[in-house]
Amino acid sequence: MLFLDVISSILLISGVFFGLSGAIGIFKFPDFFTRIHAASITDSIATILIVGGLLLQTSFDLNTVKLIFILVFLMITSPTASHALAKSARHGGLLTMAEAKEKKQEKTG
Amino acid sequence: MYLIKWAILLSMFWLLLSGYIQPLLLSFGAASVAVVLLIIKRMDDIDKEPFQTGTGRQIIQYLPYLTGQIILSSIQVTKLIWRSPVKLEPATAKIKAKDLPRDKRVLYANSITLTPGTLTVDLVDDELTVHALQGSSVDELAEGNMERKIDSIWGNKK
Amino acid sequence: MTTVFAVVCIAILVVMAIALARAFIAPTVYDRIIGINMFGTKTVLFIAAVGFLMGRPEFLDIAIVYALINFIGMVAVLRFFEDTTPVK
Repeated sequence: MLFLDVISSILLISGVFFGLSGAIGIFKFPDFFTRIHAASITDSIATILIVGGLLLQTSFDLNTVKLIFILVFLMITSPTASHALAKSARHGGLLTMAEAKEKKQEKTG
Repeated sequence: MYLIKWAILLSMFWLLLSGYIQPLLLSFGAASVAVVLLIIKRMDDIDKEPFQTGTGRQIIQYLPYLTGQIILSSIQVTKLIWRSPVKLEPATAKIKAKDLPRDKRVLYANSITLTPGTLTVDLVDDELTVHALQGSSVDELAEGNMERKIDSIWGNKK
Repeated sequence: MTTVFAVVCIAILVVMAIALARAFIAPTVYDRIIGINMFGTKTVLFIAAVGFLMGRPEFLDIAIVYALINFIGMVAVLRFFEDTTPVK
């Protein structure tokens, strides 16, 4: 049992590390489209690692199935949500960094 | 028929959430499954292009590959975050996914979004607009490794 | 093991706080939605982890329901902002 505890601690702590990195990323990155990438780290790998760590702590019963369901559901919905967000931002007229720079040059030049 | 598949799936979901095997609660479950199936049937009349997603053996083959990709690119993006000052070369590119059948393009687009560092902004017919943190990851996608992987697992059935 | 769970819970709380801060202080409305979305997914993980910390795995039911509501809410908010004309 101790062996499982060690592995799940490692998974949980590294998951939390990736989560914190993503959280810092959404403040550190310069524009909207790059910030989505930072947020997507916390959505994908942090979720996989934390839920994986919790999975090893269950006694492999109904709770395990519930955790797997949460993992699968988050894995399906998080790319859908970020795609919908990026799409609506782009169609709403938000420019990426390169495009914004071009526009600025056009104005000045 | 797919309605039966849905019925089994929904019953499993009910059992998962309740966890009680008593006649009263099971009958409530059966009633809710029946109502949801009725709604699904009605929704099909509105849905102009229904698609069946192929799940099963193939997805189990695909998941380890996808997980590996997610871990690799997450480490890359985390390195970018902790480096200071932040040096980014964001790029937007259009990628063609001609080889894939129509119903696998969504899977491809979602896989791109799920791997950190790349993001599908738009999907029109067979053209994906991809935004990436680094220009190099767009080049990797354009080489088409992931596309070939999906193609080799599901095959060109259509 | 309890210590690890406690550390994980506190760290997820910190992440949630940062995400909320992003939702309050942001240049565009879409940045705010990123913050809210991240807050929502982290809440699901937080509820699950707290359930294990307190030794009450029934919390997982709440986490499932929260995940469902969070997704529906996100899509509803984005539908509100969506403009379906393609970009030239």
